[in-house]
Amino acid sequence: MHWLYLAIAVVFEVAVAVSAGKAQGFTRLGWSVATLVSGGIATYVLSLALITFEVGVGYAIWTSAAGVGIVFLGALFFGQRLDWRKLLGIAAVIAGVVGLQLTGTA
Amino acid sequence: MSIATATATTATTAATVGPSPAAATSKRTRAWLVLLLAGIFEVGYALAVGGSQGFTVLPWSIVAVVFFLLTLLALSISLRTIDVGIGYAVWAGIGAVGAALLGPVFFPETLTLGKAAWLALIIGGVVWLKLSDRPTAESTER
Repeated sequence: MHWLYLAIAVVFEVAVAVSAGKAQGFTRLGWSVATLVSGGIATYVLSLALITFEVGVGYAIWTSAAGVGIVFLGALFFGQRLDWRKLLGIAAVIAGVVGLQLTGTA
Repeated sequence: MSIATATATTATTAATVGPSPAAATSKRTRAWLVLLLAGIFEVGYALAVGGSQGFTVLPWSIVAVVFFLLTLLALSISLRTIDVGIGYAVWAGIGAVGAALLGPVFFPETLTLGKAAWLALIIGGVVWLKLSDRPTAESTER
């Protein structure tokens, strides 16, 4: 269940990044509200995940998975290139998460 | 402050506005200090969200909300001057490393060498990712 909570929190954190970018330093009201609302939801669901995950482990996986999600979103919808450098970063994140899970710490 | 002093200050400020290299440098320094602060707020946010136990513990919950707003505010201010990719990388890196190091200080957690190594791979990966996620010319236009 804590992995599901973490996944939901990641989705809303990606929404935070997208709306924060559109809010342009909180000068646009609609996108600023969207940033705060999705941030609030992400925070609450993350707190549910962190009941089980250790803070350092859960937080690192959450913020990194969101980073990966943002890059994928950029490649899928905003025409950004998915080059070898990005793929290397994504691979490192995935390897780290798998490693944590295999050693029983996540 | 007397009105005369205030007027004098305004005049001085107006005189220094423009492409002064010294002013630009101090603006960058200030932006980096604000970014550092945003990273510290993010560590506080992570710890407080964890301590809130699903927002059932009131003191941690209040601290979490305060740090949530502070980290967003400080990050958005610093990103007016600092490149988004670099800013996010530093901010996320400080937040994740800080949470991993301070988690065991505040909660019954342990940071073993193995766990630290996998965490370093994850955090290094996301910092690398943010650094290589250069915004396109279109998205940097303001």
